[in-house]
Amino acid sequence: MSTATNIAQWILGFLLILSSIGVILVRKPIHASLCFLLTLLLLAAIYIQLAAPFIAVMQVIVYAGAILVIFVFVIVLFQDAHQQIEEFRAKSSPILLWTAAVTFLASLGLLAWSLMSLPAAIQTLPAGYGTVETLGKALYIDFFFPFEAIILLFLVAIVGALYIGKKEI
Amino acid sequence: MLFIVCLGLFTPLLGFLLLILTSHVISRRFAYWIACGAIFISLCCFKFLLIYYHQTGMDAENFNLYSWISMGAIQSNFLLHIDSLSLLMTLIITGIGFLIHVYSIGYMDHEEDYARYFAFLNFFIFAMLLLVLAGDLLLLFVGWEGVGLASYLLIGYYYNRPAAAQAATKAFVINRIGDLGLLLGILLTFYLFGTTDMTTVSQLAQQQFSVGAPIITVLTLLYFIGAIGKSAQLPLYTWLPDAMEGPTPVSALIHAATMVTAGVYLVVRMEDLFLMAPLTLQIVGWVGGITSLFAAICALAQTDLKRVLAYSTVSQLGLMFLACGAGAFYSGMFHLTTHAFVKALLFLSAGNIVHMLHGTTEMTKMGGLSKIFTKTHWLFLIGALALAGIPPFATFFSKDLILEQEYLAGFSSLFYIGLSASILTGFYLIRAYCLTFMGSTHLTPEEQQTVQEAPVVMLAPVMILGLLTIVGGLLGFTFYQEPLLESFLSPEVKINAIEKELKSGFVLTPETWLAIGGSVLSVCAAAWIYTRMRNRLGSTLQTVKKAFYINEIYWMLIGLPLQTVAWAITYILEPKFFERSLQWITQATQKVAQTFQQFQNGQIRSYVAWMVVGSVLLLVYLVF
Amino acid sequence: MDISLSIFISLAMFAVGIIGVLMKRNALVFFLSIEMMLNAANLLFVAFSREWGNQIGLVWVFFVLVVAAAEAAVGLAIIINLFRTKQVVDVDQYNLLRG
Repeated sequence: MSTATNIAQWILGFLLILSSIGVILVRKPIHASLCFLLTLLLLAAIYIQLAAPFIAVMQVIVYAGAILVIFVFVIVLFQDAHQQIEEFRAKSSPILLWTAAVTFLASLGLLAWSLMSLPAAIQTLPAGYGTVETLGKALYIDFFFPFEAIILLFLVAIVGALYIGKKEI
Repeated sequence: MLFIVCLGLFTPLLGFLLLILTSHVISRRFAYWIACGAIFISLCCFKFLLIYYHQTGMDAENFNLYSWISMGAIQSNFLLHIDSLSLLMTLIITGIGFLIHVYSIGYMDHEEDYARYFAFLNFFIFAMLLLVLAGDLLLLFVGWEGVGLASYLLIGYYYNRPAAAQAATKAFVINRIGDLGLLLGILLTFYLFGTTDMTTVSQLAQQQFSVGAPIITVLTLLYFIGAIGKSAQLPLYTWLPDAMEGPTPVSALIHAATMVTAGVYLVVRMEDLFLMAPLTLQIVGWVGGITSLFAAICALAQTDLKRVLAYSTVSQLGLMFLACGAGAFYSGMFHLTTHAFVKALLFLSAGNIVHMLHGTTEMTKMGGLSKIFTKTHWLFLIGALALAGIPPFATFFSKDLILEQEYLAGFSSLFYIGLSASILTGFYLIRAYCLTFMGSTHLTPEEQQTVQEAPVVMLAPVMILGLLTIVGGLLGFTFYQEPLLESFLSPEVKINAIEKELKSGFVLTPETWLAIGGSVLSVCAAAWIYTRMRNRLGSTLQTVKKAFYINEIYWMLIGLPLQTVAWAITYILEPKFFERSLQWITQATQKVAQTFQQFQNGQIRSYVAWMVVGSVLLLVYLVF
Repeated sequence: MDISLSIFISLAMFAVGIIGVLMKRNALVFFLSIEMMLNAANLLFVAFSREWGNQIGLVWVFFVLVVAAAEAAVGLAIIINLFRTKQVVDVDQYNLLRG
């Protein structure tokens, strides 16, 4: 591709990593959720770049628009409680946690390093790649059964969430 | 034939079972009838067997009741062996046993637990009959242990008294020590001959080994150790004086007439083996002689009437072993028979007094009882004179025969020991008689009012025994021909050469005069001393009274170390080591559980961390 | 877009998510990190689907999205319930499963 696209990709990637690190580094959880929002939007941009526009739009609507909204609701609901965490002592052993984290990073680094050389992407995409029509066809015809199962999952999740979250009066 | 034998043998066992199973509900009369009836039936059976045996010419017979052990190298059966020796013993056992059962009816008239007593007495008769009728050493051992058990049960009859319980345990333990010797002997017999059938063993021993073979010496020594334990000879005698804690009829039956003679019976039964081991015979003779003298000395200083008689029993048993040691087995058996009558007589008349005085046996509390016990004191006097060796009572003949054998067989030192023991016998017995019956009384006035002569049921058996004592000597002596007992026993019990000389009748040798003179002298001396001075002749030497402190020595050497070890184990070893190690095990298990508990602390982040570690390992494995 | 770049970004996001799960004690940020991991997986699916020109990856992304939504809903309901029991949002205090 052109150098501009390349630079755009690199900038997007850089920003994405920054914002995801920001999610865990910021102090207040409301700021963390905002960073997460930024991450999601950047991800949508990357999806568009990867010739999957429908997925990008769905990401924005579902993830950023629904899930993140619920998160923000709950964060606001508990807004007094976030301060209290510092008062309690951490009960999990830090040695264990740091060991796990460091080893994981190391192993991922090794994995990334070994995946450096991969074949280039196919240049010509099949017709209708990433459009709603082909995706819909694939979903309803090839993957019909998982689709129905997902619907059932949704039903169960709705009933479950309602039941768990209900206040006993 | 077999039926009669089994009837005689097992009827007392039936009596025992009946009485012990119904001991709480059975009535007094019924219990008396069952107990005495069982022994009476036994007595009749053996009398019948005697007549039958006499008619058919005195062959020994074997009855195999049950084939017990038969593996390749070991053979042992329930063998009953009927010959003149066993018949003699069974008649003594059932005869004196029956008299003592009748006597016990009177003795136990105020006891509540009579059924238990008669049951155990019947059990004892059964075990003793099994012992003498056994033709197989292992079966004899069964009877041996049975009489030991019966002795324990009967000595400890008054189990509420700690002294009685301790005495019973002591008897059992000391018997056990002897039984170890006998058991080793039986095992050695199995090893040498492959079977314990007595006749087979005697034959095989004579075929396979020569006289004086060391292994036969060891074998006979082991048998003799068993006899030492059972018959209360010198190292293992201490249980017999303490066994007087039991009821007096028990002392009469078990510890005078029957159980303690089991050792002598064993030696006589295995005489073929003993004759092949002259070294053992010498040891037997010396042990018997020294025991005899030692017990006689101890009896001089006792103040308890029954203990005098107990030490006297030990002394007389020593004399019997003395006889066996000189090879004079027939004399030993003769003395066993007469001693059984006389000792039972002495014990039962003492029992009359003890019963009427409600259990006191201390002679210091008695005295002058001849005015109250008009008949008993005559009977006691007869017994005392008989045992002292005054002719023409029964024991004179048997004792004299033993002493003559000793001298003529060449064991002159043993002869003098036996002679001194016999002289001392007269002395202490007459001393006991005088202290109890003569002189001024030590009874309290109200006792003098209530005490009276014993009832007929207790007097009659004693009188029968008195009669036997007077005429029993006829069994074993005549002036010119072979005595009855001798001809009866001769096929079985070897009459050695010296006895054959005396076979022609009774001869008055110089030794006989020496013995008679010594006994008469000692009797008169004791009578004179104790009627005049009434035990003022120096206070009793405490040492002699306590049998030279042998009991205490045994306690310090054996009892005390064992008790210390037991104390150490209970208070030191067990809490510190055993409980500690158990505690350590539980603590270790808990620590392991606690370590594993840390994996389940409920912390989500820890769970995730472990999952991450696991996935890292998986990643590394899959990729590299 | 270069595939290795996408892989790199995806791994980085996943690592960040894991670190967030291990290090953060606030239950909501904890959960947010989990969602981050899901997004990393999504990115990987889309990138490889573009690499090979296959539509299957996109269908999978669809399913992952649906599951993430359902899971978020139920998870938040659980957190609300836990808050009602324990009165804190500290993940370390939610140790009722200990034993």
